[in-house]
Amino acid sequence: MKFLNKILLICAVTLVMVGCEDYIGGDLNADPNNPTSVPVQAQMPSIQINLADVYGGAFSRFNCMLVQQVEGVARQWSSFNQYTGLTPNRFDAAWNNIYENVLNEIRIAKDNATADGSNHYLGVLKIMEAFAWLTAADVWDDIPFSEALQGEANFSPGYDDQRTVINAAYAMIDEGITLLNGPAGAVVPGGEDVFFGGNTAAWIKAGNALKARGLLHDGDYPKAMDLAMNSFASADDNWGFQYPDANAAGQWYRFNRDRTGDLEFNPQFGAMLMETNDTNRMKIMNPVFTTDHPYMVADFFQELITYREMQFVVAECAMRAGDNATAHTSYLNGIKASFDRLGAAGYDDYVAQSSVDPGAADLTLEMIMNQKYVAMFLQPEVFSDWRRTLFPKLTGVQNTVIPVRWDYPSTEYLFNSNAPAAGAVDIQVDRVGWNR
Amino acid sequence: MKKFSLVLSLVLFTMGFAFAQRTVVGQITDGDGAPLIGATILVKGTDSGTVTDIDGKYSVNVPDGANTLELSYTGYETQEIVLGVSNVVNATLSEGVTLETAVVTALGVKRSEKALGYSVQQVGGDDIGRSGASNAVDALVGKAAGIQVTRSSGTAGGGSRILIRGVTSMVGDNQPLIVIDGVRTNNETQQSQAETAGTAVSNRLMDLNPDDIESINVLKGAAATALYGTSGASGVILITTKKGNKGEKFSVDFSSSVGFDNITNMIDLQNEYAQGWSGGYDDPSTGSSTSWGPRISELEYSTDPNHPNAPGANAFFADGTYRYDPNGFIVPKGTGNGQAANVYDNVTPFFQTGNTFNNSVAISGGSETATVRLSVSDRRENGIVPNNEYDRQTVKLSSSLSPTKDFTISGSVNYSKSEFVKIQQGSNTSGLLLGLLRTPATFDNSGGLGSDAVDNPSAYIFPDFRQRNYRGGGGYDNPYWTVNLAKGFEDVDRVFGNLQLNYQIDPWLNIGINSGYDIASDVRKQEFEVNSRTNAAGRILHDDFKTKVFDNYLNFTGNGNLTDDITFNYLANATLFSFNSSQNFATGDGLVFSGFRDMSNATQVTGGNDIERYRQVGFGAQVEAGFQNMLYLTLTARQDYDSRLGNPTDFNLSNTGFFYPSASLAWVFSEVLGSSDAFSFGKLRLSWAQVGAPPPDPYSTSSVFGPFSVGDGWGDNINFPIAGRTGFDNANLLGNPNLTPELSTTFEIGADLRFLRNRLGLDVTYYNRKTVDAILNASLPRSTGYANVWLNSGEMTSNGIEVTLNATPVSNKNFQWNSQVNFTKSESIVDKLAPGIERLFLAGFNTAGTYLVEGNQYGAIFGGAYLREGAGVDGIDESLNIPAGAVVINDNPDSPEYGFQAVDPTQRAIGNPNPDFIIGWNNVLSYKRFTANFLLDWREGGDLWNGTAWALSFFGTSQLTADTREETAAPIEGVKSDGTPNDIPVVRDQSYWTSSVGGFGAVGEQFVQDGGWVRLREVGLSYRLPDYGRLRGGSLGVSGRNLWFQTDYEGIDPETSLTGTGNGQGFDYFNMPSTRSVIVTLNLNF
Repeated sequence: MKFLNKILLICAVTLVMVGCEDYIGGDLNADPNNPTSVPVQAQMPSIQINLADVYGGAFSRFNCMLVQQVEGVARQWSSFNQYTGLTPNRFDAAWNNIYENVLNEIRIAKDNATADGSNHYLGVLKIMEAFAWLTAADVWDDIPFSEALQGEANFSPGYDDQRTVINAAYAMIDEGITLLNGPAGAVVPGGEDVFFGGNTAAWIKAGNALKARGLLHDGDYPKAMDLAMNSFASADDNWGFQYPDANAAGQWYRFNRDRTGDLEFNPQFGAMLMETNDTNRMKIMNPVFTTDHPYMVADFFQELITYREMQFVVAECAMRAGDNATAHTSYLNGIKASFDRLGAAGYDDYVAQSSVDPGAADLTLEMIMNQKYVAMFLQPEVFSDWRRTLFPKLTGVQNTVIPVRWDYPSTEYLFNSNAPAAGAVDIQVDRVGWNR
Repeated sequence: MKKFSLVLSLVLFTMGFAFAQRTVVGQITDGDGAPLIGATILVKGTDSGTVTDIDGKYSVNVPDGANTLELSYTGYETQEIVLGVSNVVNATLSEGVTLETAVVTALGVKRSEKALGYSVQQVGGDDIGRSGASNAVDALVGKAAGIQVTRSSGTAGGGSRILIRGVTSMVGDNQPLIVIDGVRTNNETQQSQAETAGTAVSNRLMDLNPDDIESINVLKGAAATALYGTSGASGVILITTKKGNKGEKFSVDFSSSVGFDNITNMIDLQNEYAQGWSGGYDDPSTGSSTSWGPRISELEYSTDPNHPNAPGANAFFADGTYRYDPNGFIVPKGTGNGQAANVYDNVTPFFQTGNTFNNSVAISGGSETATVRLSVSDRRENGIVPNNEYDRQTVKLSSSLSPTKDFTISGSVNYSKSEFVKIQQGSNTSGLLLGLLRTPATFDNSGGLGSDAVDNPSAYIFPDFRQRNYRGGGGYDNPYWTVNLAKGFEDVDRVFGNLQLNYQIDPWLNIGINSGYDIASDVRKQEFEVNSRTNAAGRILHDDFKTKVFDNYLNFTGNGNLTDDITFNYLANATLFSFNSSQNFATGDGLVFSGFRDMSNATQVTGGNDIERYRQVGFGAQVEAGFQNMLYLTLTARQDYDSRLGNPTDFNLSNTGFFYPSASLAWVFSEVLGSSDAFSFGKLRLSWAQVGAPPPDPYSTSSVFGPFSVGDGWGDNINFPIAGRTGFDNANLLGNPNLTPELSTTFEIGADLRFLRNRLGLDVTYYNRKTVDAILNASLPRSTGYANVWLNSGEMTSNGIEVTLNATPVSNKNFQWNSQVNFTKSESIVDKLAPGIERLFLAGFNTAGTYLVEGNQYGAIFGGAYLREGAGVDGIDESLNIPAGAVVINDNPDSPEYGFQAVDPTQRAIGNPNPDFIIGWNNVLSYKRFTANFLLDWREGGDLWNGTAWALSFFGTSQLTADTREETAAPIEGVKSDGTPNDIPVVRDQSYWTSSVGGFGAVGEQFVQDGGWVRLREVGLSYRLPDYGRLRGGSLGVSGRNLWFQTDYEGIDPETSLTGTGNGQGFDYFNMPSTRSVIVTLNLNF
């Protein structure tokens, strides 16, 4: 009897435990609405739209405000405009988006592309990754790179020298181009590639353009010129994202709609345009910043790198090399492309002025940089150009010093024990590596 | 059954008979023959009753049909006497036995109060009813030690947060488990929108009609709740609902009340300066946001469109009349038509007197084998904000049947239907107070219509559908727009109840089964008309929540005497619990045309589904042994398995299980010392318990991908699909497959002392609770690729003292005064967060947010501070608290902030939202048929960040900015960078309030204010109606809630919470104002 009782007890306990496992086990604790892994094609639009959105958002607003294309006139933006409000937390969103929604996603996507041998995908991912690292290093100088993006393996990534990051980004571009020149592999980028629709030739040009931009910062003008000439042949090649409509509108449209009146066209910029009687382009850039603005439209084409930027890279490098003829041609190409982009009339009359086109021999670096500044309206790159060349000539707001970099975000100061101490960065003094 | 239905059908009949009655008289004495003064005599099953006079004598009316008297006296055994033919009933009550009072404890087990080694406090249905609160949570304020209730706002249908013994979990829900008739129920608050914006959230306990509550037992410590396992970690509120009684004559209770609500207070706004900037006037059409314009007394109107100061063409209608003010636009005095510019009061006409109508009817009674109670209620509330409504209808049927003496089957069904119309609040550009309080005194939101503007669209929308507001259609919604064109609708249908079987085989074995269910549907719609400021393109949001909770348990219980000296009882239990909540949501963007706020009018519709589900299996046991009715030892053990700890890819049952024990000891030392008239009873309590808790959310053990929105917070985010593509992004919360339950260990010691024949009672409890391995969503530097990770890493220590003092200072035939003081003090210190993490975000904003900060109390307010001497200096500045040194002044003459306070680059702990202590003093005084009650609620300390004042200082609409903008220049107190006293004179004008130390600047500390209060929470007077004809008593009363409060806080009311019932407390940012209410109630019993 006792033996039987024991058996019964064991059976009962087993039954209960099995029932228990059925009741709470299996995939009950798996989120039914969110997968734990996704293929690379499913990540692609998110990576690209996040990249375009942060570039056309925080980067565009802060950088173009610092170089006085736009002016913060209300609420928080009036304090940003005086630099006093540019506290670390103001840079949180940009940093978070770059690391979390772009770079970490690219890391996962690269792992998947590598695993299934999707070489062209990997190539595209590497070029985009390089863009993100370069864009971050340009404003934040030293940033976490080699220890970054490791999730639970490292909660306090150390900071790498800006040069290390930039050189690694160049290597990514080179590897990306090599991969794109090779066999496509398993999964081929297609329509989900909202930048170039899987066009490998376009991606190779974009890779060259990106590296040209970087080498220009480094002062390596001959190489930069060479790459720029091997990049975009026309505005049709521009690297960018076409926002569809008001429901998913471009960053500036959304900002002007939801933060009406915080940022406006900077009168300094207007005065500069009037020096060359640039009324046609001004007419398009200058209206009050509302959803009716003729340039900051809902279906905005958010450019990352453009043909006109490359033309100005060529112009600058050629000028520095003493090749005024090439500089002159590219200079005019750049201005023409700017008129085209804005849909402005009167290009011919405009360049007929000697103040704009004094002829190849009398063309100056300042003229090139000033025209690049105009042509790159709302492009974050203008901040790098000004820091490198000090053109256009600007005066700090209320005679203070214009910042030369961004502060690190509050989330790094707070949560990363390897970040510099809070207050260690003086954004008005500390120049980034390539700018020292 | 036949008998049962017969009884039921008799209910209506019963009312048709007139009741004859007789009068019974007698004397009540104690064991020594001394008269008992103030003993209560109740006629059982009726409302008739009285108390004994100075000679212990009484006279009571006994309605026909009633045949039992219930005699009671504090500290004495209650006695029931069945009436015979005699109309004289004398009785002797024996002493001290009341402590055999059974209390409902965990899992519905009734235990002798005397044997409990932990603190339990009961709040009666009368106290709940008297409070006049519509939400049972609100009714608990001040009525039990150890609880803290915070009403989130005065919104009709807004929720309240309740804590028992402070916070127990670092990031999990800290609100107690709500158990209704033995069933774990859902008191969730479901958030459709951002925590700091959107509309007020409700808590689901609101769905219970307070008139149905018999009593509420508050189980405070871990030893009391150990049998509830993980879900009882934050304390338990046991609600027992009213039921019919066996043998009770059928009765009908009718209750009707009408209440009126008013706004308690308003922020002090300036009415001297006009809209504008730098002293210049700005027309509304310019979009100017601020009131830094000229003095209004120097302005007048003009209607001449050729006036040199006339605004732009967009300020005029096509016919040339000015859009924004019927008087014309504003120009400098002497240049217009001579009519002085008006100063508009936008606030007073906007708010209305809210009203509440509540009616309920309950029928109850029973035969010898069956009982039934049916109640129906209807409540209608109109808030103080126009169009804010809350309607609730409830039906509750509970019945039981005992076909044999030892077998009982019982059950209840509650159905409640609630409809809310809610208004946008808080930090959002459609938020009501945000637009209202920022409006300059020169702009009339009502367009000359006053309070009629609510119903007249011309106040807030132009014929071309542009919004009429003070910022030319930009900025913030006109409050009249908000209440009409940005409404939120919620429609809740909820059914909950239980089915119980009880089979008493013999005293040593009773089998009980309780199956509970709680099924709720919450259908929401939020509208944003085209040109709403939050969604200028128009937006429709649909949220359809379905929540199902099932709770089943099987209990084996028994009790008896092992020897003459040793009593024993036991419980063995198994439970199955499941929670499933599904949210279907759809967002329609880009409405085609104005005036039709429906999904079909949207140009882009996105939708999705969110399912939250978890299950628990638990096995528990409890034994209680008593020795000579003096010493009681209780041991409990429980093993839980919780799906939230399961790893979906590699499930292992043992990883989800956890065990926790408890032990408690009660020593009734008065049994040893002997009791006397002076010292009636004494008990010491001692307990120790360990409780585990699973992760607060399911799916925390893995990382997931989803189509998350894109943006950076300055403009609206955009949502996938975008341009016909969807995109998946790894969530920024990193899952952790290695999570284990968090563990807290509580030690509790207490004493229950009663004196003067129990007329004075003192109950004191001290507890200490240490939580380790707390599960946190630890913040990460984003360079890791993630924002947060679930980690078992937190440690927290809590201490608290609870004191309850009960006194009956007066008790005689005509007059009785019962008084209770509840004192609560609790403190939870965060000992440790995650490695490398000094603080953890809970809620709020950049400038001031609530955080867990190591070494600080739970939920410290953290934000920007003035720079102090010593800040950043090694050896002096070692914590995140504000350094002790003097404030440093910016003495850089080139700085636009020259002479202002400098800003500390490090954010600091600038406030502590936790009160130092809470005292509730509740009094009930009865004189003959009159009963008066009042409840004083004193909350000492507890900081609030007055974000409203912070923001208004930027806009220049607060009185503060009027007072300081033309003050004599004087140096701000502090030191210059060389340490010498500041001597730089400044005027705190626009340049100051719009700088880093003003509104929207980096500093938050200047607006951290003491949120303590003394409040007349409840006051009431009622008259007990005499029997008359068919009427068997009743009452007519008037009561007031929140009629008066005293506070140092400079906002509307310190009792407010931007985040509703969430963990991040201590924020006021354009929250809805609080209300005071007067309620008249009529109760009639038949």
